[in-house]
Amino acid sequence: MFHAEEEVQEDKMEELNPGGLMRLLSEESTQSTLSSDSCEYYQTEIFDQLPSIQAIRPAQANQGGPESGERTSYGALSRDKTSTQPLRNLVMCIQGKRDARDRRKMQRNNIGFWESWRRSQSINAKRIWAQMGGALSSLLPWRRTLHAIEGRFGVGVKSYFIFLRYLICLNLLHCALISGFILGPTAYYGRSKNSVPLRFEDSDSFLDFFLGSGYLDRSPVFFGFYTRGSLDKPCLNTPLLYFSGILTILLLSLIMVVRRTIVGYKHTWMLGKRYSTNVCYKILCGWDFTIHDPSAAALKRSFIRNDLKLFLDEQRFSMRKGQRTLGQKMRLYILRSTLNLIVLALLGGAFFLIYYATIQSQKEDGDNGLVSLLFQYLPPITITFVNLVLPHIFRKISSFEDYSFTTQVNVTLVRSIFLKLASLGIYLFFVFNTEETQQSLLQCRPNRFGREMYKLCIFNFLATFCNAFLLSFPRKLVQECCPTSLLARMSGKQHFLVPFNVLDLVYGQTVSWVGVYYCPLLPLIGTVTMTVTFYIKKFTVLRCCVAEQRTFRASNSSVLFHFMLLLGLFMAAVTLGFNLHQQEVKTKLNTVPCGPFGNGETVFNVTDTCVKSLPRLAQSTLRYLASEAFALPLILAEIIILTSYVSRSRANQRAIERLKDMLVMSSSDKRFLVKEHATILKKKKHNHRAPSATVHENPSSTPAD
Amino acid sequence: MGTTASQLGKDLLSEYQELTFLTKQEILLAQKRFTELLTKDEKNLPNTRVPMERILTLPELKSNPFRKRICHVFSTSEQKDGSLTFEDFLDLLSAFSDSATLEIKSHYAFRIFDFDDDGTLDYGDLEKLVNCLTGETDDTRLTTEEMRQLIGNILEESDIDKDGTVNLSEFQHVISRSPDFVSSFKIVL
Repeated sequence: MFHAEEEVQEDKMEELNPGGLMRLLSEESTQSTLSSDSCEYYQTEIFDQLPSIQAIRPAQANQGGPESGERTSYGALSRDKTSTQPLRNLVMCIQGKRDARDRRKMQRNNIGFWESWRRSQSINAKRIWAQMGGALSSLLPWRRTLHAIEGRFGVGVKSYFIFLRYLICLNLLHCALISGFILGPTAYYGRSKNSVPLRFEDSDSFLDFFLGSGYLDRSPVFFGFYTRGSLDKPCLNTPLLYFSGILTILLLSLIMVVRRTIVGYKHTWMLGKRYSTNVCYKILCGWDFTIHDPSAAALKRSFIRNDLKLFLDEQRFSMRKGQRTLGQKMRLYILRSTLNLIVLALLGGAFFLIYYATIQSQKEDGDNGLVSLLFQYLPPITITFVNLVLPHIFRKISSFEDYSFTTQVNVTLVRSIFLKLASLGIYLFFVFNTEETQQSLLQCRPNRFGREMYKLCIFNFLATFCNAFLLSFPRKLVQECCPTSLLARMSGKQHFLVPFNVLDLVYGQTVSWVGVYYCPLLPLIGTVTMTVTFYIKKFTVLRCCVAEQRTFRASNSSVLFHFMLLLGLFMAAVTLGFNLHQQEVKTKLNTVPCGPFGNGETVFNVTDTCVKSLPRLAQSTLRYLASEAFALPLILAEIIILTSYVSRSRANQRAIERLKDMLVMSSSDKRFLVKEHATILKKKKHNHRAPSATVHENPSSTPAD
Repeated sequence: MGTTASQLGKDLLSEYQELTFLTKQEILLAQKRFTELLTKDEKNLPNTRVPMERILTLPELKSNPFRKRICHVFSTSEQKDGSLTFEDFLDLLSAFSDSATLEIKSHYAFRIFDFDDDGTLDYGDLEKLVNCLTGETDDTRLTTEEMRQLIGNILEESDIDKDGTVNLSEFQHVISRSPDFVSSFKIVL
């Protein structure tokens, strides 16, 4: 029935796949000797007796008769012997597992005391590990919430919330490190005697909590609070602890984020061009079985349909792209370069706006009150505004560029990431490089940077809050109350745009990494704000949004999320290092000493005193480890290891190619043999039938084989 | 052996925990939900089979396009009518649980997608599968031309031995490289 279609489609396959033509050639030569129905060898009798098929269908084989049932049970028996995998990992029904368990028990009687004891021990150990793992994973919060969100919005939106949860955990870890390295020692050993006491003074106002000045300026939130106390050994003092605390946080974040990115990247790499299996995933892993809302199911169906149509369109699009004329190509390139120029102009304008706002906010430093608050918040407002508007413009622009849809989304994302991180970088650069006024010389310089970071962090949170309760929620209410009104129709349905929301998170985390040196309590603030953000976003999603027409594949996007986080971390580290270096140059000027580092100490020479106090041997070892003489062999060793890995992977790849060829060959052999078998059978029947028609009366009694 | 629908004994409960991936709470919840499907008379009988129609009323299965196939695959009934006993039901939940291995999940997924039960995914199976995914009505279905292009793509990617069908090991090979499969092949009560 599908015969002709299949033929056509096989021809098509070969057309589409000129690279695989060589491999197919061997198959074609055998195929030409066979008739076309060899494709359907799986419908012949002998197919049911192939061992691989028997292994798939134990239940049906059991019903087939006593003989076949026995055969499978022997097969299962031999598999049981070799494997000690838990019963629940077997692919059978519960009754089958019971039988398997009984058989194992009998074997256990045969194998003797020691072996059986060892096995039961290993089983118990496995069980305990599994229980511990289960207990640990149940500690992760919000499983029910995530489940509900997944049920209504699919895996893509859930991946945003998982990312948010991961960031909260990361910040909690930072908090623990901060309290271990910085807060704990300071609380236990006290601060230096001439540091400013922590009291709520009359001049302080409520606004200080938004500005980070006044009371907060003297509080443990900022760098200036942590002065050198009674803990003053050469290798164990407040500056050293502070330094190592911050360094540990950055290194640990680097390791954790890199690990997550690599794990995800491995998957995507395998999904890449070489083993392209995109359509297979869309079909074979397409349905999300966690969905049980009927409307969500209908939506999912339309996603899949749209996605497939999109894919087929794109395939045809790429075919058409090959046939574009020179004139069309020229026109397209001109259009694209113009649009790119526009994007660059927009970015430049945005950067200038940020610069202008920064300068303005630095100038206005005098009078108190709401105006001052507004001016103080001018840069964060500008940054947030720019980041709110431009990505949507980018989205519109990329739709004119005649890219395929996936490229459009990626291009928009890359432009938005660039905008977000670069605007933060520019802002920081100007903040760090502003001229010293008379007044600011009297203040603690790092505290001022800390204050800027604090404001960015608070404002980011305020923006999230306002966005949810002043924008999304009223919009939804308007739509619910009077769905026919002009306003409701103009605002349209609200979607949860995963990439833009993730950008917000990455931005917040980057600010936290830059600021943690100047404002050690920033991770704590981050943890609190992110936890609240989780609930706000949950509210927004469940209450205000409808599921999107296009879903994101969780794996791909989460790699992208972590990659962006990694970019943020790098940017934070570079900015921090740059600024600290600048500061070191500037400390020669007379600024007020504050924080843990005093009398000529900086981050760069804080370890010196410690190293000098060590015995001579340790000193020279450390100096050797830090010198170029050690770096060179280290790099060489790394190169050698890398080379060996690369060559091993090449060898593996070649082996995979050869195995694939072998598979094709053996499969065509199998088809050939089945075909031969069938013709021999036919011949036999034919030969039997001819004499049986004359000798015996009944042709039905011919032997089957 | 078997279960009375009223209460699970302690031994039975621990046995189920050993034989399935479910935790104690999940088994108890499953039992509660299963009992709700029974009629009054059936509640007192051990080893009752619940017909497929009643199983399909569960909200977790109701909107699943593969619900009938799921019942057929997990049913141990001789008549192949897709009816489930409590133990079959536990099997189902175990395969779809959080902690089931990729091996188990991909095996059952293959059997669910193998509509004609012949041990391979051929053109017809794939066609039905795609129709289940996109919706069965005429206006939601792909056109014949699109379908042919699509299935050509699927086979080109996954049919390693080029015999025109996808067999279990080819299927598992594809699935094992999909990081999303384990997280989406899940039914939790």
